[in-house]
Amino acid sequence: MTLEQPLAVRPPRSLAEAAEAHLDDVLGYLLYLTRDRETAEDLASSTFEKALRQWSRFDPVRGSARTWLLGIARTTALDWFRAESRRRKREESAALPERVEETFAEGLSPALEAALAALSAGEREVLALRVVLELDGDATARVLGISPTAVSTRLSRALKRLEEKVNEG
Amino acid sequence: MTVNEIVGELRATRPHASDALRLHVMTIAARPAPRTPTLGERLRGRRRVALLVPAGAALALAAAVVIGVSRSGSPATVSTAAPESAARSAGTTGESLGAPPTAADAATAQKAVPGPAADRAQRYSAALSLQVEDSDALSDATQQALAIARDLGGYVVSVHYATGDEGSSSMTLRVPSANAADAVTRLSSLGTILAQNVQIDDLQESLDSLDRREQQVRARIAALTTAIDRAETAADRARLEEQRAQARAELRDLRASHAATAAEARNATVQLDLRTKQEPGGAVPGSGSRLDRALDKALAVLAWEGIVLLALAIALAPLALVAGGVWATHRARRRREEDRLLAAS
Repeated sequence: MTLEQPLAVRPPRSLAEAAEAHLDDVLGYLLYLTRDRETAEDLASSTFEKALRQWSRFDPVRGSARTWLLGIARTTALDWFRAESRRRKREESAALPERVEETFAEGLSPALEAALAALSAGEREVLALRVVLELDGDATARVLGISPTAVSTRLSRALKRLEEKVNEG
Repeated sequence: MTVNEIVGELRATRPHASDALRLHVMTIAARPAPRTPTLGERLRGRRRVALLVPAGAALALAAAVVIGVSRSGSPATVSTAAPESAARSAGTTGESLGAPPTAADAATAQKAVPGPAADRAQRYSAALSLQVEDSDALSDATQQALAIARDLGGYVVSVHYATGDEGSSSMTLRVPSANAADAVTRLSSLGTILAQNVQIDDLQESLDSLDRREQQVRARIAALTTAIDRAETAADRARLEEQRAQARAELRDLRASHAATAAEARNATVQLDLRTKQEPGGAVPGSGSRLDRALDKALAVLAWEGIVLLALAIALAPLALVAGGVWATHRARRRREEDRLLAAS
């Protein structure tokens, strides 16, 4: 009889296993980025569609499944941001932009919710990765494509601004 | 609210996927995985380059080994069948031959090598300097030269044979004058002619002169003998006998000179010098074992491959720099655009 290793230690055998383990992380990250649950859920679906197509390229040696999925989620979200930006530019002269539903998570205090909404997506994503999902500096750096030092700087600034915004309110 | 309180609240309210989303995503993830990618698809980008580098190096090495082994056969052998190389430079002195001589030149060589006149006594001296491929060829050529001398009824006066970085062999041969031209022609075929010198001195006049003097001395001896028989006093007889003894001694000397001169004319002297090719670095190409030759060839091929690679690298380096610059600029612009996008959202 062999003891099964936990998923945090061994790489997942299938995408279904990885999805089961990391769906909440992917959704949470996308929710903090987009500030819209419906959009985040759509992007999470797209992320796993892409992941299915790219599953054969996943290499556990180069990083965990969690980091790999978050990287795909970030690319998917950036594509969405670009499309949104173009759409907003087109609609600017015709109508006012849609109001985004600012809901990050159930149970979050209104002050913190408002403070998070005041931050930029770039600040929110580093908070999501380092604080909410508790990724270490190296893994966060891999997802964002920057150095671990830059991650620390961004996190420090984001936390400072968040604190200011919360206490302002 | 402190940072620690904020962090605590953010972690406590970590988002969770709804059941509907979980079901949807699990449906996606449970689909059959796409077809297994081919090796080419799996080896992408840097991995492919990382594999290509050792693969290319292995290919270059294999090519060098194959070429080295296939071209390391036995070294060029000395031709013994036809006097080809002799033809190339017969009658020339100090002429260096780059290209191998052709069979068409053989007849020219036969005509060009001068021989002693059959009806006159002549001293025939020839000096030949030949180059052979390697020490094996040097040994073969030396043995063949000795065999040629014996075959033509001659003999070996002296031989000096030495091998090393530059092998050399030097010998003095005597062959009947009648076969001198044949000897020179056949010896010339043992290698590439570097220098050839033939000298013919006429000895017939000397022999004729010796003959005349001999006849004169004989006549004088005969006259002295007659005079001795007719001598009236003992003193006259003694003086004439002394003169006859001197004439007889002179006759012996003349006979000896005649015999020596005739002997000189009977046999020709051929001085043959053989030496191996000398590489600039001191190594003799094609010498040594087949393994040595294979290694030499393989190293030469590798050197050429290196030169070609270096030339390619020099030619492609500016393009690679430009491509790298374009890639880095594109990457930086994309990152700036992403930062702007995230900052504005």
